[in-house]
Amino acid sequence: MEGFAQNLVNAMLLGGTLALVALGFSIVWGVLNIINLMHGVFVMLGAYVTYSAFTYLGIDPFLSIPFSMLIIFGLGYLLQRYLINLVIRAPLLVTFLLTFGLEMVFVNVALLIWKGDFRSVTTGYSGVGLVLGAVKIPYIRLAGIAISFLLALLLHLFMTYTKTGNAIRSVGMDLDAARLMGVSIAPTYAVTYAIGAALAAAAGSLISMTFPIYPNMVGSWTLRAFVIVVLGGLGSIPAVLLGAFAFALVEVFGGSYLPGLKDAIAFAVLVLVLVVRPSGIAGKAFYK
Amino acid sequence: MSEQPPAPLPREKKVPVQVTRFDKVLGQRRNLIYIVVGALVLVVLLALPPLGVSGFWLRTITQAYVLAIMAIGWNFIGGYTGYAAFGNVAFFGLSAYVTGILMKKVGVPFLPSLLTGALFAAAFAVLIGLAVLRLKGHYFAIATLGVAEATREIIADDLGFLLKIPGDLLGLIGLDKAAESLHAAAEKVAITDGPRGIVLPFFQPPFQIGDLTKVQIEAWFFYYLTLSLVILGILGTWWLIRTKLGYSLVAIREDEDSAKMLGINTTWAKVTAFALAAFMAGLAGGINAYWKTFVLPEEVFRIGHTLEMILSTILGGPGTVLGPALGAGIFTLVSSLLIFKLKLGGFHVMITGLFIVIVIVFTPKGVGEFLTGKKPLALSSLLENIRRYRV
Amino acid sequence: MSEQTNQQNDGQVIFGVQRATKHFGGLAAVDRVDVDIHQGEILGLIGPNGAGKTTLVNIVTGMLPITSGRVFYKGREITSWAPHRVGRLGIARTFQIVKPFRNMTVKDNVAVGAMYGHGGAHRSARQALEKAEEVLEFVGLEDQMARGADQLTLGALKRLEIAKALAMEPELLFLDEAMAGLNLREIESAMELVRKINQSGVTLLVIEHVMKAIVGVCSRVVVLDFGQKIAEGTPQEVMNNPKVIEAYLGEKFARRLREEAAHG
Repeated sequence: MEGFAQNLVNAMLLGGTLALVALGFSIVWGVLNIINLMHGVFVMLGAYVTYSAFTYLGIDPFLSIPFSMLIIFGLGYLLQRYLINLVIRAPLLVTFLLTFGLEMVFVNVALLIWKGDFRSVTTGYSGVGLVLGAVKIPYIRLAGIAISFLLALLLHLFMTYTKTGNAIRSVGMDLDAARLMGVSIAPTYAVTYAIGAALAAAAGSLISMTFPIYPNMVGSWTLRAFVIVVLGGLGSIPAVLLGAFAFALVEVFGGSYLPGLKDAIAFAVLVLVLVVRPSGIAGKAFYK
Repeated sequence: MSEQPPAPLPREKKVPVQVTRFDKVLGQRRNLIYIVVGALVLVVLLALPPLGVSGFWLRTITQAYVLAIMAIGWNFIGGYTGYAAFGNVAFFGLSAYVTGILMKKVGVPFLPSLLTGALFAAAFAVLIGLAVLRLKGHYFAIATLGVAEATREIIADDLGFLLKIPGDLLGLIGLDKAAESLHAAAEKVAITDGPRGIVLPFFQPPFQIGDLTKVQIEAWFFYYLTLSLVILGILGTWWLIRTKLGYSLVAIREDEDSAKMLGINTTWAKVTAFALAAFMAGLAGGINAYWKTFVLPEEVFRIGHTLEMILSTILGGPGTVLGPALGAGIFTLVSSLLIFKLKLGGFHVMITGLFIVIVIVFTPKGVGEFLTGKKPLALSSLLENIRRYRV
Repeated sequence: MSEQTNQQNDGQVIFGVQRATKHFGGLAAVDRVDVDIHQGEILGLIGPNGAGKTTLVNIVTGMLPITSGRVFYKGREITSWAPHRVGRLGIARTFQIVKPFRNMTVKDNVAVGAMYGHGGAHRSARQALEKAEEVLEFVGLEDQMARGADQLTLGALKRLEIAKALAMEPELLFLDEAMAGLNLREIESAMELVRKINQSGVTLLVIEHVMKAIVGVCSRVVVLDFGQKIAEGTPQEVMNNPKVIEAYLGEKFARRLREEAAHG
C-alpha cells in the first residue's frame, strides 16, 4: 500500500490520462448521441500502434502519438461514415449493440494478431522521474498529463474557431437547424467520431508507456470513460476534466484499499451518481 | 412505387418489435399450419437421441437449448418490457456458483441445487432491480453491465472484502478484537474459491436405460432436461402475455408514463420481469455448471453470454413467443458450423460480433417476420431498416 | 353558448388542491394554487402556454413530485401519492401529447385501462377486453378496434386516449388539451363526448385553449398565468375579467366571445 502522498500524486497523473480517454467519448456521446462501445478499442489500437512502432521500427513512443492518432482517425472516419451512419437515427439500443458487436470483432482480431499476453513500451527513460521525498513522479506521466491538457486545449480551439468545429457543435445542438443551414450531416458525424477515436488513440499511446496493454483491456477503458462522463456531466470539456480527476481519486484510493475490484469500484461510482445526481457534477444534457 | 413518408428526424424512442396481436385467435388456416409444423418439429426434436444422434451434434443442440433458455428469459425484460438489460450473465454465473457450491461443498443433489441457484439469481435480480430499474435506456444497460462485471470481480475475489470492510469499520471505532476476527475470517473464507473455480461432482446416472453407456445417459439427461425447459419457457411466455402482467409489461415498453397513469405499478411489474429473466438465466447457469462440471469466474461471468442471449432474441424477433428459441437455434447452428467444420476456432467472439452487426443493421426485428410471411424475403425488406434510420 | 346542460353540480368538493407549488430550480411553475373541484361539474382550466396548467395536473396526480401544498380526494389526503395509486383510486387523466401503445391494437390499448384502473383489480384479462369493447363503443371507435394503434389519425388517437382513461372507470377525469389539433367538426364531436362523459357521472377538469369548447361545456373556469391563479368563476365572469383579457384572451377576442355568448 502506497503512502497517502504518493497515492494523491498518482491520482493526479491518472486523472490526466483518464481525461484524455473520456474526452473523445464525451464528444461522440454529446454530438452523435451514441454510447460508443468501440471507444476502448480505439484506446487499445492506439496503444498497439505505438507499441508496434516502438518494437519494430524503433520509433520513440511520444513521436508516434501523431501517427497513431492519424491512423485511428482514419479508421474511425470510415467506420462512422460507412457503417454506423447507416443506423444512426435508430433508437439508442441499436447503436449500442452495433458498437458492441464491432468491439467484439476488433478484440478478437487483436487477440489473434497480438495474443493475450501483456505488452508494454519500455524506453530508456521509463523509470526516471522526479523524486520529492517519499513521492516519485515519473517524467513520462508528467509528459502524459501535459499532452492531455494540450490536446484538450487544441480540441477546444478547434471546436470554437474552425468551420468544421462549429459545424460539429451546431449538429450537436440542433440537427435540423444545422441541416437547414447547409451542414452536411454524414461527413460531420464521421469527423466527430474520428476525432473521438483519435483522442482515444492518443490516450492509448500514453497508456502503453505506463500500463501493460492487452486486447481485453478494452472493456475497462470504455467503462471508465462512461463513468467519468456520467460523473462529470455531459456537455463541456471542463466537466470531463473534473469528472476524470474526481474518478482518478476514487480509483487510486479505492484501488489501494480493495485491490482486484477496480471495475466494481467504477460501477459503484456509476450507480451512486445515477441515483443521486444523474446530471453529474457539472453537467446538463449536452446541447439538448 | 410509392415511398413511405420519411421517418421524423429526431430519434425514435423504442426498439422496434413485432406487433403483438393478442386477440388473434386460432381459426385462420395459417395458424393451423404453424401448429402442425410446430408439433412436427417437437416430435423430431424429442426423437433425436433415440434415433442415434449423438456426440458433437447432440452436444451442439443441447448448447442451443441452454442458450434458448437464457434468451427466453431475456425476452421478458428486454423484449416485452423494453428494458434492455446487459448484465444477465450475472444471474447465469451466480446460479452456477450456488449450484456448484451446494453440490460440491454441501452435497445437495442436482435438481434441488439447480432450483436453489435459479431462485437465488431471481432474488438477486429483485434486489438490484429495485435500484437499477429506475434508470432508463442506455443508463440502465450500462448499469446492469456494471453489475455483471462487479459481480464477477467480487466472486473472483472470493467475497473476502465483504468481511474486510466491516472489519475495518469496526477497527476504526475501536472494536479491535472483533475487527481482528473478521479480518482473520476474511483471509480464510473459501466460499467461491476465488479464481480457481469449483469442480462439481460428476454426473451419476440415476437409473439404467437399456444398454446405453454412462456417457450416453449423461448426454440424454442434459438433452431432455434442457429441451423440456425450452418448451416450458415457450409455453410460459405464451401464457404470460395473455395475463394482466403480460399486458402491463408491453404497456410499460410502449409508454411507461401512460402505463403508470392507468394504474400499473410499474416498479413491481419491471422487477417481476427482471426476476423471471434472472430465473431463466439461473436455470441455464446451474445446468451449464453441472454439464461442464466446473465453474470459473471468467467463464461463467463472461460478457459473451449476455450478448449471445440478446443476439438470439433479436435475431429471432424480440417481443415474440418463438423468437428467442428460434434465434438461439440459428445462431448456435451457424456458429458451430463455422467454428467446428470450418475450423474457425479462435473466431467465436468475432462471429458473434459480426452476427450482431449484421442483424442490427439489416433485421432489427428479427428473422421471424420473414418466416411468418409478414415480410417478403427481398432485398428491399433488408434495406428498409437502413432507409429508415440512416443519416 | 354558455348554457350548461345537465351538469350535476352537487356542490360537494370531490378534489381539493391547497397551495400547490412546483419549483423547477429557481422557477415556480406552479405557485400556491388553490383549486376545488365539485362533484359532477366540468371545470375549465385555461391560461397562456407555460402558465403551469399541465404541471398542475402532473403534480396532483403524482407524475411529478410536488414541491409543497396538499391534495385531497374525497376527504382523503393524496399528496405525493404515486401515479398508479392515484389511478386506482378513481382519478384518470389524458396527456397533451397523446401516448398510445403503438404496437398494440386499439382494443388492447383500452383493455389495459380496464385491467388496473378503479374497477380493474378483480377483472381478468379477458373481462378487461370485453369492457374495452364497451368503452370503445361509448367513444365511437368501435370500428377501429382491431387496428394497430399506430395506424390511427390524430382525431382517433385523441379519442383513444380518452377511451383508455374511461376504461379505468374513473370518478374524476383530467383532460389535457384533448381538442388541440382538431378541426371544427371534430371539436364539436369532442364537446359532445365530454358532455356525455359528464352525464354518465364523471367529474371533469378540462384544460383547453379552444375557448369555444370551454364556453360550451364548462360551468366554472379557473385561469392560470405564470403559475398563479389569476381568476376564477363562470365562463362569463372570466371572459370579462380584465386581468384574464390582458394576460391571455386579448381585447378583440374577448369582445368576440362576449358577442357570441350574447347571441346564444
